[in-house]
Amino acid sequence: MMEPELTRRSLLRILGVGAAATAVGGLTTACNLVGSSDKPSGDKVRIKVMLVPDPTGASQFYREQFDRFEEKNPDIEVQIIENPTDQQVNAIELSFQQGDPPDVFRAQDNGFDRIFDRGWIAPLDQYVTDEFTSRFPEGSLDPATSGLHRDGKLYTLPLVWGKWSVVRFLLVNNTAAKVGGVTTAPKTWEELEQAAAAITRAGGGRTFGFAGLWSKSNLARMFQHTAGPSSIDNGIDLRTGRAAINHPSLAAAVDLLTRMHAAKTMTPGWESWTDASKVHTAFAKGELAMFLAAPYQINEVRKLNPQLDMTIAAVPVPAAGRGGYSGQTASFSPLWSMSAQSKHPEQAWKVMDFLASKDFHRAYYEKFGTLTALESAWQDKAASNADQKAIMDIAAETVRLIPNPVLASKGGKELMSAIRGKQDLQWSEIALPAILRNQPFDRAAADLNAKLDAFIDEQAKAISAKGTPASRADLTFPTWNPLQPFNPSQK
Amino acid sequence: MTSTSTVGPGGTTEQVAPPPQRPPATPRRRRPGTLRRHAWQYVFLAPMLLLFVAFTLWPMVASWWYSFFDWDGVGPATEWVGFANFTEVLTSGRFWHAFRNSFLFSLVAICVEMPLALLVAILLNSRRLRGRNLYRLLLFLPVVTTTAVVGIVFAVLLDPAGGFINELLRSTGLVDSPVTFLSESSALPTVMAIDVWKGFGITLVYWLAALQTVPEDLYEASKVDGANGPQTLRHVTIPVIAPIGVVILLLTFQRSMNPFDLVQAMTQAGPNYATDVVATYIYRYAFNPELNAPRYGFACAAGVVFGVITLVMTALQGPLLRRQYLKGSR
Repeated sequence: MMEPELTRRSLLRILGVGAAATAVGGLTTACNLVGSSDKPSGDKVRIKVMLVPDPTGASQFYREQFDRFEEKNPDIEVQIIENPTDQQVNAIELSFQQGDPPDVFRAQDNGFDRIFDRGWIAPLDQYVTDEFTSRFPEGSLDPATSGLHRDGKLYTLPLVWGKWSVVRFLLVNNTAAKVGGVTTAPKTWEELEQAAAAITRAGGGRTFGFAGLWSKSNLARMFQHTAGPSSIDNGIDLRTGRAAINHPSLAAAVDLLTRMHAAKTMTPGWESWTDASKVHTAFAKGELAMFLAAPYQINEVRKLNPQLDMTIAAVPVPAAGRGGYSGQTASFSPLWSMSAQSKHPEQAWKVMDFLASKDFHRAYYEKFGTLTALESAWQDKAASNADQKAIMDIAAETVRLIPNPVLASKGGKELMSAIRGKQDLQWSEIALPAILRNQPFDRAAADLNAKLDAFIDEQAKAISAKGTPASRADLTFPTWNPLQPFNPSQK
Repeated sequence: MTSTSTVGPGGTTEQVAPPPQRPPATPRRRRPGTLRRHAWQYVFLAPMLLLFVAFTLWPMVASWWYSFFDWDGVGPATEWVGFANFTEVLTSGRFWHAFRNSFLFSLVAICVEMPLALLVAILLNSRRLRGRNLYRLLLFLPVVTTTAVVGIVFAVLLDPAGGFINELLRSTGLVDSPVTFLSESSALPTVMAIDVWKGFGITLVYWLAALQTVPEDLYEASKVDGANGPQTLRHVTIPVIAPIGVVILLLTFQRSMNPFDLVQAMTQAGPNYATDVVATYIYRYAFNPELNAPRYGFACAAGVVFGVITLVMTALQGPLLRRQYLKGSR
């Protein structure tokens, strides 16, 4: 029998057909991105957990923890899907759109509400037992103030301590500060300004007094919170329900930074820093003497330089006295949620339950030094750790509950969502130019304030027209005193 | 020619004239249509066409459609807003600021990078230059280096506090205080310079390819005519490579209008939007995790407006470039 001859033409035909088939196959696959199966391998049920590998070392930590979980739950296999922090919410949305959502996922703050509003999150009340509730500090799972409830139902579980996300500090590198003769942490804005100038002067271009990451205008916010109602974060004074971008406390905070930038007492180029690691490195190396920090940054600095002689102090207040506190709007921040489309809700809940267990929280605390939502998991150890004790003490001194329109009413939630989504009405749009160009903030603030007020009126009408009653009353808490903790029953 | 006999009704034989001769009957074959004739060519084109339609044409057409909706990217787009997104884009100061920056990137690429690359290409094209392949390689290296890495490395090098370049400038006494290369006023020129450095190699390769097309005998003829170097360049080299130069111009223009990766890696469009380009502007509205809901519809409208303006700008160059092309090819 003769072998069929493979001519050049037939070879090309085969290649052509093959290429076309590959392309069609590729297209089909592309149309089913993230098309992994959730079929159990053997008798196991696979639960997909979508998270972010944050902080450093989290990838390994989560895998180890879920390995332990799998040992105790041999019928469940946990598949971890990691996304970059900034893209986590987009990735979750995409996976839902493609019909292949994770069973459990990490979505924080606004990200949680974005996904919740789409109806993709399952309520958890049916799984909650008394034992589960008892893990959390008493009263912290109250639907009105927990921050984990929406429309009276529990939809999400926390990871970190309620004040962890809110409390801020002034970190002082004592060695660098001594260069400028600064031996105690500044307590007022004016002291800070003078100390920064002295350190920079004495630093000879190698050490600078103060700097920070502008990201989301946090640098100005942290000062403003000590001078006035912290609700001005969103441009609104919740005592009046009116725009307050022209509030003196904000203008004063912006002016302080304007003066320090103009006097070159801040690290040159601070305005172009795009991630916090630069701040941590400069501080740990002694090139930067002071910066305002979130709690996690204390750990990051310690990782870089465990022997660093550092003071953790409260954020300085205006010399005229404190006008406000860092505002805690709820007992906790949302973090872990369960998909409403999970095919294995019982098993998914087991994973959620594990993520809210004392064992997991203790392990998380021990690995990262983060004070977690279950205080009983770390309270004894934290009291004997100088850094963590300082965090708790300063949190007690500088954090107060404030009104939360998002939890108070549906109209408030819609209005706040509209305001936060209106990028060009955020005061950070005018604050940074004022600081960098040494320009007065007041006039631009007055203009933007008028625009924001008009926008609120316009949105209240538009939201009401769609069937959700909304008005300025949803943003108004007249009995709130920014110097006192707010009680939701006050309104 | 032969005649045939037939028998008549009376038994008589008649001579009949032969019928006109026809070509011998052959099996009828249809001429294959264009499609059939080129069937295999189409088969080979199919993969590319499929991918082009799926990943270029469809997203483009879809973005035109979505730009008429207030759509957050999830589920079907249902909230028709007509031209509202376009109105908002066209009246947005931030958009025009980003557009100006994108345009400046192109302008610098065309006015600085292209002529510079041509000069270097002429030098590297000289057979008398030793080690020219090494130089070509070195100049091309930035092109194949990941842009994000380039951005991050340059941000570190240019850091006013401890960055290598500032340390160098200070140690050599060229400056007293650190230079803030990425400040509000200098970030854009700095990023542009790095963009030129990064893209230089590819423009250089284009020019080198163009220079290979100049026939050697033209150079010899000009030499015989007594032309010196600049004269040869002006009267021989430039006219011959001009048609290819037109193509290089268009390629450089298109490439340089979108420096998204470099800007995002180095400055994230900051500080204070100083380095914002249209791509980062669109990215902010479509993917910013800080937004309660992304504005894909609006981002699409911004993309469409940018695309249309770029198209018009390219088309406006058409007559001028065509004239140049024809002149060069004569």
